[in-house]
Amino acid sequence: MSVARKALEMTQAAADVIVQRAGARYEAHRQEIFRSADRMFGGLMIGQWIFAIVIALTFSPYAWQGKIKTVHMHVWIALFLGAAITSLPVALAWFRPGEPLTRHAIAVGQMLWSALLIHLTGGRIETHFHVFGSLALLAFYRDWPVLLTGTVVVATEHLLRGILWPESVYGIPNPEWWRFLEHAFWVVFCISFLILSCRRSQTDMRVMAERGAELEALSENQWRNSSAVDRAAADGRGDR
Amino acid sequence: MERAPASDRSRLASRLAWIAAAAWLVAVSGAFAIVWKYKSTPSAEGVLAPARWPASSAVARSANRATLLLFAHPRCACTRASVAELARMMARFHHRIEARVLFWTPRDGPSDWNATDLWSSAARIPGVTVLRDEEGREASRFAVATSGGVVLYDARGRLLFQGGITAARGHEGDSFGQERIASLLTTGAADRADAPVFGCALEQEPPARMALAGASTTTNQGEER
Repeated sequence: MSVARKALEMTQAAADVIVQRAGARYEAHRQEIFRSADRMFGGLMIGQWIFAIVIALTFSPYAWQGKIKTVHMHVWIALFLGAAITSLPVALAWFRPGEPLTRHAIAVGQMLWSALLIHLTGGRIETHFHVFGSLALLAFYRDWPVLLTGTVVVATEHLLRGILWPESVYGIPNPEWWRFLEHAFWVVFCISFLILSCRRSQTDMRVMAERGAELEALSENQWRNSSAVDRAAADGRGDR
Repeated sequence: MERAPASDRSRLASRLAWIAAAAWLVAVSGAFAIVWKYKSTPSAEGVLAPARWPASSAVARSANRATLLLFAHPRCACTRASVAELARMMARFHHRIEARVLFWTPRDGPSDWNATDLWSSAARIPGVTVLRDEEGREASRFAVATSGGVVLYDARGRLLFQGGITAARGHEGDSFGQERIASLLTTGAADRADAPVFGCALEQEPPARMALAGASTTTNQGEER
């Protein structure tokens, strides 16, 4: 085998090692981001649950029939439906962090929280901003399919409500079947840029991982070279 | 007993997680359906207002524009949305209607019964007069049993509209009621002259039953509580 060929094979092997290391670094970084976002959403879910209960107790604690008061349905909704929405995402964030199921369940849960908060605040326009805030937070995963899951939940909720209870969404009795698309359009408008941002982040992460792997290989190489020089120097001293 | 290998246990746990997720989705969707049902079910009592402005009413009727009355329970959380919608409506039609909000007040209720955010919110709306409706006498005269119930009479005292101005229980946003009132005020016609009402009950007994009983009583007007 020629020296040139041997050198080529060694270079190829070194490049393969760098690619492998870059892949491992990239995956480790992604996992770190997924786990960190899972933890954040776990806390956020519990925070939203407490917030919903406070909202219900503050603004609609009782239903009235003349002078007779009973606990308002909103309080039970906040307590039990809030607990139900929070339960699975928090359990998955705790027991199975970093897994695809966890982040997609969190995306579903987060969008359901938007729907519940809109109900609890009586459909206030301002509460609808929670949808867009949530999508922005889901972009923390830097994993664009999570944003699609969130969008599908919003669109489905609007579509079903538009079919079963149209006036609650559009304020008119017989809206066109595609009216939900108009609402979904603004969500799509928002996530288009978030998806772009996620993809750029992923590209940046890959570049960072590759540079890190190259630097690692370079420093290892230098360490090997300096070790060889040290050994040669030590051998030379021994011969004398 | 031999323990399952780690990979098998992991596969089983993963499968269980997926099953739990599917069950969770079904349960939460079902719960949302119940919430929708609750919010979209109107009051059975509704509004059965007389075709002409009741002569026994102590509430002043405008002689040159339409008069809108909103009957409210001062502590009904659902009525907050009706008051918010009234504010929007008044911003648009203040030159066409005079509005009064009548707060149901019990005979032996505490002195601060009407000292609620709902009263303050209604009192802040330009063009709206806030009144106490002692024992719901006016509600009885106009046969309004539910908080959030609205009646609209023209300048000659003819009933134009009766019903609610929210799309659901305590839910802000466009609604049939608002659309119909807007249509009546701008074109003089609407597809219907009523809309469902969502809110708390004003009386323990339907006021229509005691409508004539309090015909000789008067309503305390003014903005004092």
